Amino acid sequence: MAELRTEEFVVNMGPHHPSTHGVCRLMLTMDGEIVTKIEPVIGYLHRSIEKICENRTYAQCVPLMDRVEYVTAMSCGYMFAGAVEKLGGIEVPLRAQYLRTIMLELNRIASHLLFYGVTAMDIGAYTPFLYGLRERELIIDLFEETCGQRLTYNYIRIGGVSQDIRPDFVPKCREALNVISAKMSDYTGLLNENPIWIHRTKGVGVLPADLAKAYGVSGPNLRASGVNYDIRRNDPYLLYDKFDWNVAVRPNGDCFDRYMLRLDEIMQSIRIVTQALDGLPDGEIMAKGVTVNYKAPAGEVYHRVENSRGELGVYIQSDGGKKPVRVKIRGGSYNSLMVLPHFATNRMIADLVAIFATLDVIMPEVDR
Amino acid sequence: MTREELAAYATEKFAGRLTPLATGKYDPLFLVNDAGDLLAVARALKEDPKLQLEYLCNAGAIDTGKIDPPDKRFEIHYSVASLQLSLRLDLKVVLPAGKPEVESLQPVWPAADWFEREFWELFGIHVRNHNHLGQFLLPDDWNQGFPMRKDWDAPDFVRMPEK
Repeated sequence: MAELRTEEFVVNMGPHHPSTHGVCRLMLTMDGEIVTKIEPVIGYLHRSIEKICENRTYAQCVPLMDRVEYVTAMSCGYMFAGAVEKLGGIEVPLRAQYLRTIMLELNRIASHLLFYGVTAMDIGAYTPFLYGLRERELIIDLFEETCGQRLTYNYIRIGGVSQDIRPDFVPKCREALNVISAKMSDYTGLLNENPIWIHRTKGVGVLPADLAKAYGVSGPNLRASGVNYDIRRNDPYLLYDKFDWNVAVRPNGDCFDRYMLRLDEIMQSIRIVTQALDGLPDGEIMAKGVTVNYKAPAGEVYHRVENSRGELGVYIQSDGGKKPVRVKIRGGSYNSLMVLPHFATNRMIADLVAIFATLDVIMPEVDR
Repeated sequence: MTREELAAYATEKFAGRLTPLATGKYDPLFLVNDAGDLLAVARALKEDPKLQLEYLCNAGAIDTGKIDPPDKRFEIHYSVASLQLSLRLDLKVVLPAGKPEVESLQPVWPAADWFEREFWELFGIHVRNHNHLGQFLLPDDWNQGFPMRKDWDAPDFVRMPEK
């Protein structure tokens, strides 16, 4: 019998694979069904936001930031506004800070609910998608009532927020949080007792803590590898140091932990929002003296926030003029995708889909 | 260590190699005096037991547009952190307009990989000892130069007169 000879071949996953979140292309070198090499090819969603910002005033940059990472557009808006406020030493009124904290955390819950749905769908379960989007809708409705938009809010402005909440926001928000926390047992019940789900996620795609730190992985992906680090606690911004909450950490770094960690974070976010609603003071929502033509004083600053996908940061350099000299955005997905070729190889291609899904990569943030 | 203690410690420990810059109002910002010393400074910052800056948050090149004098046109800004000790520190190097070149920091912080690919593709800053410089964010058939430079405008871009 002639000797069997196998050879490696290259498969393109994407640019429009249903499980890639946005337009990402992974060039896979395959040995049968085993992935031996991964090369991410990015740039399909590059909109040169950083270059556009150099030709816009500071106030005009804020709505652009919503497009950097549209699943949690609130934190993108805050990231930029917060950096300019740092640069200019602007004092933001307390009520605006409370509203920002509430909106950022609600947005995190909405993002993690979407993650819950699409991850399960990527791995082959359809029902969780409907469950996740059903409860996400409650939060999106709250945003729509507040600022008129469902996805790209342009709500957080330099110096405050664009408008106050409606009188019935607080009771509606409490009701939504009650519904979501009551549904958490449904979410885990759907998947965690399912032997197929357990086989597809437990022990699959282990990201070691050292590798994660070396490649700058941040946020839930880092904490699922057992590293207890959260910018909200370690480098506090807004009002996070005033509230009583815990940083969720899981030890194993596999797909299952990355998925469970996000459900843990939803519970912590509910705690933060509840306390913020209790303590919401009356008062102004915009700082005085911040106009549309606000000029940041000369200087440079790097400001970072804990987004639902990790560390979202912006570097701004100003020469005192109307427009920034340079805006550099750093997204959590960028580093999550950078580390993918270094730990996801030598497994089946189906596992790669699970790993990619649980890393929660979103491409507009990578390409900018 | 508070921010002030961190700034004082790094200023004293790296006297002659790092210059504290007054513009860093929040996290300490240091200028690396000699761009050729960057890799050694980075390694020392990471290995110093009181700093342990093992985590690269962000790295971005800047074209300041200053061509007179020509030796200070480009800057590179690195943001580093210590997860263990909750420290944050910024580094900056200044590069000339002619042939800007910087050493790759991948041996110290592997996360520098993709950030450095952007230096080359968007700014034309060559990164020594980087094995994968080339097409990254831009289209495969791109041949219009380095788009993030200040003297580059898109072909259909119309600059409105400043009021």
